[in-house]
Amino acid sequence: MTETPEPSIKDFESALSELESLVKTLEDGNLTLEKSLELFERGVQLSRYCHTRLEEAERRIEVLTDQGEPRPAPAALTDPTADVK
Amino acid sequence: MTDPTTLPFDDPAAPESQPPRRVFTVTALTAAIRTMLETTYREIWVEGEISNARVWKTGHLYFTLKDAGAQLNAVMFRSTVRYLRFKPENGQHVVARGRLSVYDRKGEYQIVCEHLEPQGIGALQLAFEQLRERLDHEGLFATERKRPLPALPRKIGIVTSLDGAAVQDILNVLGRRHPNAHVIISPTRVQGDGAAKEIVRGLGHLGRLPGIDVIIVARGGGSMEDLWAFNEEPVARAIAAAAVPVVSGIGHETDFTISDFVADLRAPTPSAAAELVVARKDEIAAQIRRAQDRLRSAVASDLQQRRTKVHLLEKRPGLAGWPARVAGHGRYSAELTHRLNNVVTSTVGRQIRELNTVRLRLEALSLGRRFGRIRARLVAARTHLAHTTQNAHADRATRLRTAAGRLEALSPLAVLSRGYAVCWTADRSVVVRDATAVTPGQSVTVTLHKGELDCEVRSTK
Repeated sequence: MTETPEPSIKDFESALSELESLVKTLEDGNLTLEKSLELFERGVQLSRYCHTRLEEAERRIEVLTDQGEPRPAPAALTDPTADVK
Repeated sequence: MTDPTTLPFDDPAAPESQPPRRVFTVTALTAAIRTMLETTYREIWVEGEISNARVWKTGHLYFTLKDAGAQLNAVMFRSTVRYLRFKPENGQHVVARGRLSVYDRKGEYQIVCEHLEPQGIGALQLAFEQLRERLDHEGLFATERKRPLPALPRKIGIVTSLDGAAVQDILNVLGRRHPNAHVIISPTRVQGDGAAKEIVRGLGHLGRLPGIDVIIVARGGGSMEDLWAFNEEPVARAIAAAAVPVVSGIGHETDFTISDFVADLRAPTPSAAAELVVARKDEIAAQIRRAQDRLRSAVASDLQQRRTKVHLLEKRPGLAGWPARVAGHGRYSAELTHRLNNVVTSTVGRQIRELNTVRLRLEALSLGRRFGRIRARLVAARTHLAHTTQNAHADRATRLRTAAGRLEALSPLAVLSRGYAVCWTADRSVVVRDATAVTPGQSVTVTLHKGELDCEVRSTK
């Protein structure tokens, strides 16, 4: 699992909510040119991060052993077409 | 020991007709009574109201069962108290199952309870109410304790049985809503003895794994007995203590367990729990895309506005010809800079020169002073040396002259020059100082100031 690549971003939800509030600020206007370009850059960074996070994981199903160690799940669980009791 | 069922009491009316009296000890009698009671009332059910209930340090529970007409001492030993699902309290109407026994030392009989159940309301229901009240009182259900769920959990933990439908339901929903979800299941029994312990352990294991952002605790529908593990205190406390938010999906919509109250979010079913845990991936993607679009268009329109403003400003008369003016200012400023440079250079140059002069003078002064002092000492030393040398020299000369004078005075030559002469014997070995030392006719030599005389003595006087 990749950890947050950008130290200024805490996690997915904070990134998403920062992105949305930043867009709002930009839309309201009344910013200096420097400030609005800075916000834009940050916005691009945040939306990239969100996309990466959304796509990064692969479907994986694991089952813990008695000792709490993750192991791949039996096929019956991972196969969506398997019969459901 | 006599047969306890035919206790021999004396009949005072006919003392003579009876066999000899038999006297029991208290212990023997009590033992006889105990045997009788224990065999006769080996397994009985008795109902009554609990009063005076107290648990001793030993863990045994003591209470009194009573009704309007009588009361009965009761005890429940620690080993059976453990299995009670509710807490016996004064005023509860209960049915007790047990055997009668006698406490010899006090001469009291009591019922030793093997089982106790509330009347009217079921034992489980009562236990449920009691635990709910207690945990509620502790604040475990408080809204402030509820943690928000992550928008996009990295890994999702599930505590449930691998055999039930619940796990399949959850996996189906997760797979549909978020195809690349990462799920880790902690398999546990979800009913029967030991289920609670396994659920607690599963929560602990998942909470320790890195990346798990939310845990689902789930079980399919069933009776209150079936769902009981989720009403046990250890499970409730483990959910409250979980490292990450917990979503409960236990039973059907109408089932409520203590775990539901403690969980950060209660879902009516396992499938619903899965839906609450992951938002639809396509919805999130759309949300991000919308934000991106708005970001771009906001900045684009912002820039466009600025560009327009600049164009408008350029066309205003006040700004006409500003490049030339700027250029003029540029030249003027270059000139000023040059002049300033000159002033600075010359001023600084002069100051440096002055400084050098002063420095040289200062150096000369201080060196001259120091050398002057040394030179003075040197001169003094030299003078002194010359003096000393001269004095010594003069002294020697005087002494030489004196010595020479004295030497001259002593010299015979000096006497001779004044007319004296020296007379030697002819062989010059003896100076003749007495006339008698020579005889007439003898030759003598006379030394004069200049030259010598060979003479012959003619006579002596």
